[in-house]
Amino acid sequence: MKKKNFAAMLSCAVIIGLTGTTAFAEGKTFVYGTTGYSEEMGDAGLNPHDNYSGWSALRYGVGETLFKYNDNMEVEPWLATDYEFADDNTVKITLRDGVRFSSGRTMDAQAVKECLEDLIAVHDRAPSDLKIDSIEADGLILTIHTTEPCPAIINYLGDPYGAIIDMEYGIQGEGGSANVAGTGPYIATEVTPTQINLVKNENYWGGEVKVDNVIVKSFSDAGSLCASLQTGDIQGTYGLQYDNYPLFENNPDYTINSMPTSRCFFGQFNMDSEIMQDMNVRKAIEMGIDKESFCTVLANGRCVPAVGVFPSSFSYGNDAVTAPSYDPEGAKALLEEAGWTDTDGDGYVDKDGQKLTIKWLTYPTRLEQPLLATYAHDTLKQIGIDVDINNTSDHRTYAGDGDFDLYVSSTTTAPTGDPEYFFTSTVVGSKNYGNYQNDEVTALVEELHQTFDKEKRGELAIELQQKILDDCSFFFVAHLNMGIVTKSNVTGMAAHPCDYYEITADLDIQ
Amino acid sequence: MGKYIIRRLLHLIPILIGITFLSFAMMRLAGGDAVTYMYENAGVSVSQEIIDQAKAEYGLDKPFLVQYATWFAGMVTGDMGTSYVSHRDVYETFVSKLPATILLTLTSIVLTVLIAVPLGILSAIRQNKWMDYLLRFLSFIGNSMPNFFAALVLIYFLSIKLNLLPVISNENVAQSLVLPTLTLAISMASKYTRQVRATVLEELEKDYVTGARARGVRGRVIIWKSVMKSSMLTIITLLALSIGSLLGGTTIVETIFMWDGVGKMAVDAITMRDYPIIQAYVAWMAVIYVLVNLVTDIIYHYLDPRVRLGGEGA
Amino acid sequence: MSEEKQVTVRKQKIKKNHIKGKLIFFLILAVLLLLTAIFAQYICPYDPYAQDLMMAQKPPSVAHPLGTDRYGRDMLSRVIIGSTTSIFSTLLLVVIVTVVGTGIGIICAWNHGKVDTVLMRISDLFLAFPGLVFALAVAGVLGGGVHNAIIALAVISWPKFARLARGLTLAQKNAPYMMAAQLSGSSTPKLLVKHILPNIAGPILVTSVLDIGTMMMELAGLSFLGLGVKPPMAEWGSMINEGRSMLQVSPWMVLAPGAAIFVTVMVFNLLGDTLRDYMDPKQRNR
Repeated sequence: MKKKNFAAMLSCAVIIGLTGTTAFAEGKTFVYGTTGYSEEMGDAGLNPHDNYSGWSALRYGVGETLFKYNDNMEVEPWLATDYEFADDNTVKITLRDGVRFSSGRTMDAQAVKECLEDLIAVHDRAPSDLKIDSIEADGLILTIHTTEPCPAIINYLGDPYGAIIDMEYGIQGEGGSANVAGTGPYIATEVTPTQINLVKNENYWGGEVKVDNVIVKSFSDAGSLCASLQTGDIQGTYGLQYDNYPLFENNPDYTINSMPTSRCFFGQFNMDSEIMQDMNVRKAIEMGIDKESFCTVLANGRCVPAVGVFPSSFSYGNDAVTAPSYDPEGAKALLEEAGWTDTDGDGYVDKDGQKLTIKWLTYPTRLEQPLLATYAHDTLKQIGIDVDINNTSDHRTYAGDGDFDLYVSSTTTAPTGDPEYFFTSTVVGSKNYGNYQNDEVTALVEELHQTFDKEKRGELAIELQQKILDDCSFFFVAHLNMGIVTKSNVTGMAAHPCDYYEITADLDIQ
Repeated sequence: MGKYIIRRLLHLIPILIGITFLSFAMMRLAGGDAVTYMYENAGVSVSQEIIDQAKAEYGLDKPFLVQYATWFAGMVTGDMGTSYVSHRDVYETFVSKLPATILLTLTSIVLTVLIAVPLGILSAIRQNKWMDYLLRFLSFIGNSMPNFFAALVLIYFLSIKLNLLPVISNENVAQSLVLPTLTLAISMASKYTRQVRATVLEELEKDYVTGARARGVRGRVIIWKSVMKSSMLTIITLLALSIGSLLGGTTIVETIFMWDGVGKMAVDAITMRDYPIIQAYVAWMAVIYVLVNLVTDIIYHYLDPRVRLGGEGA
Repeated sequence: MSEEKQVTVRKQKIKKNHIKGKLIFFLILAVLLLLTAIFAQYICPYDPYAQDLMMAQKPPSVAHPLGTDRYGRDMLSRVIIGSTTSIFSTLLLVVIVTVVGTGIGIICAWNHGKVDTVLMRISDLFLAFPGLVFALAVAGVLGGGVHNAIIALAVISWPKFARLARGLTLAQKNAPYMMAAQLSGSSTPKLLVKHILPNIAGPILVTSVLDIGTMMMELAGLSFLGLGVKPPMAEWGSMINEGRSMLQVSPWMVLAPGAAIFVTVMVFNLLGDTLRDYMDPKQRNR
């Protein structure tokens, strides 16, 4: 007892950075725990023009973008109602009428212009994505001139950094404590790097907001997030580890809402590695891994098996392409055909006295990756391939040096609902660590880069995926489900294929 | 005495330079590249230009010794740079998290003392009785459990099975303190119970105790008046030393219980390759450690002039 | 008077025999652990690396006395095979640290002078770092892997032995018999091997045996933080880490390897303590 008093006394004198829960006197309060908000993730604070903080502005209902992505990751109007490409370098955007910032200012083309100009002036990624040359404002009509043809500009405007804020109100506070005036259903009253307190926006353009107060709490440990949901300290979670899902599945007190996202776990084969140059070996590896079991058992159903780059919700997703399926016998046959047989009886195939050992490079930040590597180690052993796992946070160095046979990483393949990003970055771009070369593919990527027509872009995306799958240069294992677990009396919280929208006007507590 | 202290302080200079250089050099030896890492953690990749730009901004493109000199000058003036990850001032971050670690260190030591001193004395005066055996057995158990395992066992039974305490720290600081403090105190108390016992036993064998006994002074009085007094000095010295090691030892426990102190900060920084934070942490913890040890040495020296310079100090 | 003395001598003898008995007992336990570690692959009831997803996360049963992990691997087999890594890497670490530390300590004591000053300053430097912090940073920089974890801990642990050996050697160096040996013209290596080493070996051996437990826990600690072995290798610290997120769902995944560390550390600690009592009866009961 003495100790407790002592501790309490000390703690009063000590600043620990734990903000006390503000007691809300009236109305409905929703406490939300997330592992997705922290300075480490680069998204603390609400200033969309700073690093990844726009994600937080969007996720927690403070900011909104001109365009949003629907569940098929297609662009839909949001703060904008329409757009039109006047020519290759000019796009005209019509804004929604009657939208006000929480500061009281009316959102018009001038306000959006100020916001976007600040964005490209201070943000690191936006200028190279948007390629904005100049902006003109006229009432509700916003005209953007780009320095070069930028067919994906509408998609990019849906990126969280494109959240529209009132620049007259400006950025209050800095870094992880920055607050802004947006147009969303909630207004932040207090922002810290570990917590955001929100109240409902009485004048929200999209209708009545149902929950009065929302508290967003940051958790850096998924285990504690799980425990807090169990004790009722929080009513909803984002980022719960799937190891803990069994605690909430088939439990009437909780609702699990999940949706495959475009975060894809995929491997790239090193085309410079002698053993990987053999198509049969690459194909055998693909056929030796049971994606289905990995997703259902090891990932507890929180991953869905992938075929191609994009999840099935995309029109050019999994269903549009084909890839070799799990077939250990077929894999063995392929290896044998390529001259790999087990001559010394050690259980691994060999050729010219050389055991077939592949260097499997991956990194631990994404929990699924070491799991997959460990799984592959055993399952590939069944077909006679020895896997040497290199699971390191220094993976970039190894990848850059080409010191691997298979590099398994993960990325959001379509962060803006547009297929181009994955191909320009990973298939032909700087992240093509496996040095995969196919002139046809390069030409197609260039064509995709120039194409404005959305349907045509989708077709190109399918063609491209099929090409790289047929070449067995990449293989796609799984798409991660984004999961939101809430108490069952919470409604209106849905997972999306992109993790941009979490708290919306639909949120309600019964 | 004054001369001794001055000499010790002079010895500190090369050590401090060595410490800072080592911790700086170590981070730079790392193959990983913080800037690339920084972007990657956020999930989306960026072009080489942006990476180069950021590198220049952090001075990572300069030669090694220049980087060290800049950093060292900064360390001395209280400017430890900016975190690559949070973009916050390292000094501010460090200072804002240090109190939590100090608090945990202090509560652990207090609990350790509360457990170890009475039990150690009890064990000594009941030497080779069942109580002594029981206590020695328990201290053995405590000594043989890695603290991360002890932490998980405590979580499993106290939090999950009995639902008595929160698994992680929350707003209720006193409640949140219990598990991490307990975890740290278990192994420390086990160690110190044995040491207190040994010290008290040693005192009990001394001539003055035998003398007092012969004069008919009651056992209890001897224990409390004489033995405690002379044993206390050794015990205090031991505890002072343990403050130093605890400062580092809290790392794993802070990580498990999400205690927002410098230890957790360091582990996070190591996984994120946040050089400025790791460097500042390693260097400053070493400085604190050295200073605590120095003070302890001086006390020791003061109490017992027989201790030779350069002998067992740390 | 003399009768009383005889009684004490006899008492001491009984005590000594008692300690000897204890020592043999703990030695046998330690040898058993070592044998387990050596013959681990023959003792395992199942292939510790064979996965069976159909059997994933099954609680302890007759077929799997310690349950199975998330890949459906038999926990008992993994704990047994894990002993090889855990015990041998710890022993390797202790041997490295003892040999290097003792060597440096003797050199320092013998060449009292510049070499001594420089090496002792360096050891001060390493002693100045809070142990685990430095090891963490080293392991973090070098990357994961048992070798790196061993290097990290060796780097911070040798000074302790260097100091000890130096102190002991200094004491021996000035002993009268050494003077005599020196005068009789024995060469330095001969003096070191014949006279110094046997005289300082006892306390050093005791310290290193006592350190086995600590080192094992520190090594497991690094593994626990993900800086130890490579997957899918079985090692107790990393097994605990793997099971940690499933503490609520499948607690046996943490408890089994945890108990293994606990028992092993305890056996080596008891062995070290008894060994100390045996070698130095004055320190008994500390």
